[in-house]
Amino acid sequence: MPLRSVEFHVLLALAAEERHGYGLLQEVAALTGGELQLEPGTLYRALHRMLKDGWVAESARRPAADLDDKRRRYYRLTPAGRRAASAEAERLWRLVTVARAHRLLSRA
Amino acid sequence: MTEGTDVSCRSAAGAKADRRIAWWLVWAYPPRFRREVGLGLVDAIEDRMRARREAGASALGARVPAILDTMRNAPAEWMATLRATLGVRLKPGTTGDGNPPHEMSGFSRTSGGRTVIDKLMQDVRYALRLWKRRPGFALVALLTLALGVGANTAMFSIVNAVLLRPLPYAHADRLVVVWGRQPGNPRSLMAYREYDALRAQNHTFDELSVFLGQSVNLTGVSEPQRLLGNFITGSLFDVLSLKPERGRLFTDAESQPGRAKTVVVISHDFWERTFNKDDGAIGATLTLNGNPLTVVGVLATPFDSRTVPADGFFLGYDVYIPAGLFPVPGGLTNAGPSMLMAGRMKSGVTLSAARADFDVITKRLEISDPKSQAGRSTNLELAHETLVGDSRTGLMLLLSAVGAVLLIACVNVSNLLLARAVDRQREIALRAALGASRLAVTRQMLVEAGLLAAVSAGVGLLLGRWSLQALTWLRPPNVPIPAEIALDQSVLLFTAGIAIVVAVLCGLAPALRTSRPDVSRVLQTGFRRGSGTGGRTRDVLVVAETALSVALLAVSGLIVQSMMALQHVNVGFDTANVFTLQFRLPPAKYPKPEDIARFFKQTIERVQAVPGVQSVALVRRVPFSGNWGDTPFVVEGRTAAAGSEPRAGQNMISPDYFRAMRIPLLRGRDFTDRDDLQSPPVVVVNQTLARTIWPDDDAVGKHIKVPESPEWLTVIGVVGDAKHRTATEPALPQLYLAHYQVPLIFSSLVARTAVPPMSIANDVRRAIWSVDKDQPVWSVASLDDIVARSHGSARFLASLLAIFSGVALALAASGIYGVMSYSVTERTHEIGIRLALGASAGRVLREVVGRGLALTSVALLIGIAGAAGLGRLARGVLFGVTPGDPATLAAAAGLLALVSLAACYIPARRAARVDPVVALAEE
Repeated sequence: MPLRSVEFHVLLALAAEERHGYGLLQEVAALTGGELQLEPGTLYRALHRMLKDGWVAESARRPAADLDDKRRRYYRLTPAGRRAASAEAERLWRLVTVARAHRLLSRA
Repeated sequence: MTEGTDVSCRSAAGAKADRRIAWWLVWAYPPRFRREVGLGLVDAIEDRMRARREAGASALGARVPAILDTMRNAPAEWMATLRATLGVRLKPGTTGDGNPPHEMSGFSRTSGGRTVIDKLMQDVRYALRLWKRRPGFALVALLTLALGVGANTAMFSIVNAVLLRPLPYAHADRLVVVWGRQPGNPRSLMAYREYDALRAQNHTFDELSVFLGQSVNLTGVSEPQRLLGNFITGSLFDVLSLKPERGRLFTDAESQPGRAKTVVVISHDFWERTFNKDDGAIGATLTLNGNPLTVVGVLATPFDSRTVPADGFFLGYDVYIPAGLFPVPGGLTNAGPSMLMAGRMKSGVTLSAARADFDVITKRLEISDPKSQAGRSTNLELAHETLVGDSRTGLMLLLSAVGAVLLIACVNVSNLLLARAVDRQREIALRAALGASRLAVTRQMLVEAGLLAAVSAGVGLLLGRWSLQALTWLRPPNVPIPAEIALDQSVLLFTAGIAIVVAVLCGLAPALRTSRPDVSRVLQTGFRRGSGTGGRTRDVLVVAETALSVALLAVSGLIVQSMMALQHVNVGFDTANVFTLQFRLPPAKYPKPEDIARFFKQTIERVQAVPGVQSVALVRRVPFSGNWGDTPFVVEGRTAAAGSEPRAGQNMISPDYFRAMRIPLLRGRDFTDRDDLQSPPVVVVNQTLARTIWPDDDAVGKHIKVPESPEWLTVIGVVGDAKHRTATEPALPQLYLAHYQVPLIFSSLVARTAVPPMSIANDVRRAIWSVDKDQPVWSVASLDDIVARSHGSARFLASLLAIFSGVALALAASGIYGVMSYSVTERTHEIGIRLALGASAGRVLREVVGRGLALTSVALLIGIAGAAGLGRLARGVLFGVTPGDPATLAAAAGLLALVSLAACYIPARRAARVDPVVALAEE
């Protein structure tokens, strides 16, 4: 079964660094060139599911004090989340290979 | 600068509001979700709103997407939570903590087991499949229940509309009807001067009024008409908080006797009917009872009067006329008790406080005017009670009857489900043995019962609506059922409640039965059905329903007997072949008694000439027509304290009345044409009056005096007793005055005919119009119909109860048959063995029937006890039969015993004919 799109995007957005909720929304938008504009509710439902599944966790660390808004909650990727993301990436990669073999993809 | 500050202030306020909104929105999510990520979500929502504002969006533009987002995601999260919780709880294998099985597979997160909703849907589908496989079962069960629910919905709608809903006036709970109380009559009319005194001196009422509905003649139009008039004091409009729809209403000052204005207020219906809703009606002149009255307003009906019980009590009239114009000799102020009184109590005043207040005033009246006020006080009751109080017993009885029918229906369906559950017992036990949850089977039973209840409640609601329509068509005139009964919230709630009761009653026994199957025993019995299983429960159910039907049957029997007793009461006159009608002469046209007497004499002569008429007479008040009056009288040579004089029903009649009515003349003579205004006044009394006043003496030749007549009246004859108001009243003293000596404008005509009475109606009308072409007549009816109509509510009650108990009997019979037949099928094998071993068929037959009768006799005992209780409830509507009437109880029990014997006999005969070879080969 493929991973849900929202969740895969959130995992990708967390791959580089820990982020807080609104930061995630912005990063997802950036990753997709502005195509996927998640709303907070959708994001947090995905986050909530992945928290329960142990794919993401709340981060104890905070960025430098001057940048930090005290109340923000930051999230990080867990090893399980990393495995799930890479499994999905693998799956997509295999699909891309197939697509390319059938000349569905013009770029290299 | 100032501008910038302003903007920043505003945006600070806006940001605060945004945060508040974000908090509110997050509240829409499930609690656990809020605990775990709620704060983050609040921040994110707020951040997103701020970002949108900074990008130039308006406050609305920033907030609406946040709200839409919540509307989409919060319900989805709730559903997910619900599925997860229920799914986990019902699936013991799942741990429910953070290590779900799907993590192993990596990506699957939708499984998590079937949720309760899935399971319920599966149960529903399963139930529907069962019904499809056995449509007969489903149809019988559904129809039985739907009939029960429908009857209950219909009856409750009526009870709700009549007994539970307040009257549709403002402050209806404070509306009070005031009756005059005097010895022997707690509900007499009130005198206008009593009204004056009470209105001026009371401290407990916002407003008091008197009124009296009376027909009025409308003349000066194309054809004379009789209108329903209500003579009222202007204060009645205030008592009922009524408003004009056009024009104005009249005031209390304008309705006062002696100073009454010649105005009239018309009803909305009359306005529509006569003036076609033309505003020109205001200012028009209506000639009523010969007086030209100016229409000043149209009364706005405060409600749809067709939805109100007994709407005719206050409203339901065509024209509202000032009380001061009430046609009574000597004027209303000097008249005796002649009006109804109603008032609205002050807020917070109790009925007993108002009673005490009125008692003080009537006591003062009695002291100041001992002659006319002696013994008189008042009797206050809530208007709602006056209107519907009499119908309470009957309605509650009907409601209990339909309740019993529904219970019986539930028991039958429960039995059907139980029988099937027992059929499936082996399968269930097998599944339990293999580790399946018993809960699943029980749940399936409950779901099926719930489904039955839901479907039958839906169908029942429709049936209830239809039968209500039928009931309102049957509605007898003296039962205060509104012509239109709204399906309101209370009725819907009631039906929903009924559905739940049905589901529980139908599902409980089968569910309990299947929840604890004895696995080893059931499996040991092999492929045969376990004999006797579920038998005890079924026995209890069948006893319950039989007992209920006996009780219902017995009470219906009592009511039907009362009904028959009513019809066979000797009313004292012969109702067959008597034609009647009523009329009222306009006082302006007939100012002198001589004019009235002349009209009377001519009318009698002309009607006498109509072919088919045997004898004809005039009478002020036709028995059973609802018109009634009584009077105190003084007996010559005896003194009685004021207020404690003997009283008698009073009537004015023309000669030949007794002959036309076939009331026997026992002594003396009848009135003749010569007993008129010129001759000495005479009176005829009935047997009861003669016997009570002159027990040892001949009444003829004695003298009495009534308030209307200054002279002594000579008793010239004694006639047989005749009932006047109801067939149930005891024999009352009655006196008859000569109509020619007391010619009043209102009268009725009675004619004994040799032909069907209604066939002469047109000829009689023409005969009256030949005397006065403008004279309207009404209430044209045969005496048979008038008397029958007075039994309307009794017949209504009796026929409905008879229907309900018939249904109950049929249901009980099918229940008994079902149980006996099932137990025979179940025991086929055993019976086969016994027959093979030499038992006689007769013995088998006797045994099966015996078991059925044993159950029935237990049920009969319980049922009879129940009937005694229900009978007590019915006491108020019984006539000529006691609640515990042994014959009725025995008849009900006997009928049920017969029915159950028949219901047992058919399966018993089948048992006796069991072929041992076939029965044993079944294994």
